[in-house]
Amino acid sequence: MYRGREGQWAFFLHRISGLALLLWLFIHTLNIASAMWGPAVSNRLMAFFHVPIFQIGLLLVTAAAMYHSFNGLRIILMDFTGWGVRYQRQLWYGVLGLCVLLAIPGLILTVPRILHAASHGGGQ
Amino acid sequence: MAIRARRYADAKAQASTNTELLWWVFMRVSGVVMVFLVLGHILMNFVLIDVNTINYQYVAGRLSNTTWKIYDWLILVLAMLHGMNGLRYVMDDWIRDPSRRFVTKAVVYSLAVLVTVVGSFSLLNHDFSKDLSQNTPTQGTMTKP
Ligand code: HEM
Repeated sequence: MYRGREGQWAFFLHRISGLALLLWLFIHTLNIASAMWGPAVSNRLMAFFHVPIFQIGLLLVTAAAMYHSFNGLRIILMDFTGWGVRYQRQLWYGVLGLCVLLAIPGLILTVPRILHAASHGGGQ
Repeated sequence: MAIRARRYADAKAQASTNTELLWWVFMRVSGVVMVFLVLGHILMNFVLIDVNTINYQYVAGRLSNTTWKIYDWLILVLAMLHGMNGLRYVMDDWIRDPSRRFVTKAVVYSLAVLVTVVGSFSLLNHDFSKDLSQNTPTQGTMTKP
């Protein structure tokens, strides 16, 4: 494609992360809305989603949200500023850097809880 | 056709219709708003608290709070419109056969409407106080006539 190697990766990751977020929006909305059918239904579903493998999935969804957000801002900068396109490659490394920077405290906070839940046989 | 511009001026030149240009602008405006709404939502419900402690009590409490009703409904509507329009770009790209594309779109849009309606009902049109009041009695509410 016309923007070379990084541009292609940036675009592909933006598309995949956007689709992942949309799939998550569907599942998550229905899961939360199940509270309308009362505690029994809602808590069963929630316990199901507290299984460790889904929590790894949650970490991936969070990573997708961070990447898609920051790269979305990068796209907007390229669209509306005179210099955005010129620095698109540097901006992309900035996006990745910001994701890693925020992932570090995030993982430090969340991973121990996931491991704790895993060693106690899932959620609740 | 989706717009493939990298500048507003190019987008305007490439837009096949006014509606298409409007979507192009909407993707950017909703995007900027959602950076704060979505990352804030993840921070509040996943990073700052342990997701494993989330249960019916927590959800019903949040769904009963006016601030979160508005906040969450904004995310639901903006993300649904933004995500579905994004998916429309992807379907236009990836599904070559017109009749298959039509069927896929029909199914996908119907599902989106269904999820939006169910989600909106849980946020705007359901009274959770009955089940919540078992643990936190509220005086004088929910008395049957
Ligand atoms: C959180 C802040 C967000 C920002 C800043 C953002 C920004 C953007 C931008 C600028 C585009 C490109 C639009 C175009 O090509 O005209 C885009 C595409 C897209 N977004 Fe988002 N978005 C965000 C959240 C979301 C969410 C929550 C979802 C899912 C529900 C989503 C799904 C998509 C999809 C599926 C595409 C199409 C990707 C493609 O055409 O390859 N986005 N986003």
